[in-house]
Amino acid sequence: MNSRSLSFRLVTWYAGLLTVVFVLLGALTLLLLRNYLEANLLDIQARRARQIADTLLAAVPRTGEGALARQVEELYSPEANDRLIRITRGDGHVVYASQRPKDNNFDPGQVPLPSLSRSGEFSRKELLPGGALLVAALPYTPAGGSEHYLVEVGVSNSPTEATLRQVLLMMAIGLPVALGVAVMGGFVLVRRALRPVEQLGRKAEEITQHNLSERLPVVQTGDELERLSISLNHMISRLEGSIESSKQFVADASHELRTPLTVLRGELEALAQDGQLRSQTRESLGSMLEEVDRLTEVVEGLLALSRLDAGESRAHWVRFDLAELAASTADQMSLLAEDKSIRVVCEAAADVIVEGDQARMKQVVVNLLDNAIKYTPNGGKVRLKITREGPNALLEIADEGIGIPQQALPHVFKRFYRVDGSRSREQGGAGLGLSIVESICSAHGARVEVTSTPGKGSRFRIIQSLANNTTVHAHS
Amino acid sequence: MRILLVEDEKKLSELITRTLQSESYAVDAALDGQSGWEMAESYEYDLIILDLMLPNLSGTEILRRVRRRNQAVPILVLTARDATVEKVKHFEAGADDYVTKPFAFAELVMRVKALLRRGPVSRATVLRVADLEMDRLSQQVKRSGRRIELTPKEFALLEYLATSPGRVFSRTMIIEHVWDQSFEGLNNIVDVYVRHLRRKVDDPFPTKLIRTVRGVGYGLGENAEA
Repeated sequence: MNSRSLSFRLVTWYAGLLTVVFVLLGALTLLLLRNYLEANLLDIQARRARQIADTLLAAVPRTGEGALARQVEELYSPEANDRLIRITRGDGHVVYASQRPKDNNFDPGQVPLPSLSRSGEFSRKELLPGGALLVAALPYTPAGGSEHYLVEVGVSNSPTEATLRQVLLMMAIGLPVALGVAVMGGFVLVRRALRPVEQLGRKAEEITQHNLSERLPVVQTGDELERLSISLNHMISRLEGSIESSKQFVADASHELRTPLTVLRGELEALAQDGQLRSQTRESLGSMLEEVDRLTEVVEGLLALSRLDAGESRAHWVRFDLAELAASTADQMSLLAEDKSIRVVCEAAADVIVEGDQARMKQVVVNLLDNAIKYTPNGGKVRLKITREGPNALLEIADEGIGIPQQALPHVFKRFYRVDGSRSREQGGAGLGLSIVESICSAHGARVEVTSTPGKGSRFRIIQSLANNTTVHAHS
Repeated sequence: MRILLVEDEKKLSELITRTLQSESYAVDAALDGQSGWEMAESYEYDLIILDLMLPNLSGTEILRRVRRRNQAVPILVLTARDATVEKVKHFEAGADDYVTKPFAFAELVMRVKALLRRGPVSRATVLRVADLEMDRLSQQVKRSGRRIELTPKEFALLEYLATSPGRVFSRTMIIEHVWDQSFEGLNNIVDVYVRHLRRKVDDPFPTKLIRTVRGVGYGLGENAEA
């Protein structure tokens, strides 16, 4: 998957944010849970301490400290209940301290004595080698007694820790699962939301200058995408308008040039045919006529292109054998090649049936062959090959000319493009031949490609789909 | 023979008039559609040359009106518009021929002659220019009684030049008649063929028949400068 695609980025961000939120939420939950559990435990211990103080210590002034240990053991049996109970007198003497609990979670001897001068209940957490111990402490002075005591009741914190570990484990398993589900759901949603964008993109890709009258489908979602598709359509309309007017301009300008050119040519021709002229005058008239010819050629070429751009009707479309057409055209032009002692090697497969305007396709062959012959030096060779390749007809014309520099290749089909002004000028031509070839090909749904090795020659390839055998052509 | 010319470009109109007059036709020129239509209505012309884009009344409308009155006069349409659809439309409306600007005047004259001659005039089987003889049926060419072997294309080219001796044909005209429109602009092919033709038809003989007028084209006739 493309890591720069919108859906990928959206889902990544979404997953990232979700992870952060989950982790924060989990941490907060653990923290609150721990505080609650510990506070709860301490609360129980504090109540027990109060109980001990109220029932046992309160009696000390009467019964003395001697019975205290036994009474605690009897009533609370701290070892069996995994508790720490310690009663310390104000002078630091430990009146009673429970033994190691049965589960051996802590060693009461290692629990340090807190400050005995504090008044009021307090609690603390002792970190011992066997785990944390939560201790609630209650300073107490029995009524009528002179001694001051500190009652401590503690319990191991490990059950809390175990619970928290359990919760953490649940989160560690649950969070990725939840995240996975959320990401997948998000991905599906994003994909669905972006599907119209893909459709728009695909359709926009199909629109070229030849079918600018088409429009993008308006996605009726009522959201930003709908507005986007409408805006894009407006843009295409404006583009169509401006391209239309520039085409119209070329067509109009060419038309307007035709009449003056006719007059110019007529006057010059009439003059040139006067037998009484001095040869110098005759020469300059001839030169002028040649320039008129060139202008005419440019105007005609531009008009032909603007007609092709406008999309000619397919009224003249027929099925024909491209190989036969190319071979016979090559034959008609053979004298041109012979004139330069160029050998035209024609290799034509049988039955390369395509559909199109024969005269136009012939023009393509003529233009390409003419170029090939023009640029191949005397005594060279021009290869013409027509084959079938899968569903396509392939027409290939290769010359042994000077070739086209790599950086010029993408431009050779542009109007008036000249690889090298001086060279092309002297070879003549209006600079529109290859543009016309390309326009005709694209009107036929064919592709034209060029490859070239400077110094060795160029090769033009035309790839047109073969006529479908089963359908009798039904073009409007 | 009287020809009506309806063309609003004054210079072009004058030029066409002059050219046709030098071919001994009488020419009436109208510079706008309305007066053109009035002239066409008031006189039985032998041929009407009609531009399509005219002020006041379009050429298309004149064409329709003339045909509605059932006049059999041949009409040659002259226009800068040459989309195939347009051509078909005007042929259907009753035009007999169509010349697109810019055209060679020789071409216009040829078309005019062909339209005026249409019908009774048969094509001669043997064409003669000076001592050159072409038999259109057997495709044989002789000069001073000597057989000359020509390829079919060379024959077609020579035949085209021989249809109107003394006239100079533009290379565009030659391409349109001897090859086809796909070869338009491929003027050098004409030069090459003419060179070959010269080698066979002129080189062995003292008088040269094939004439070159630089910038204009080629013609066939005596006292040709090589």
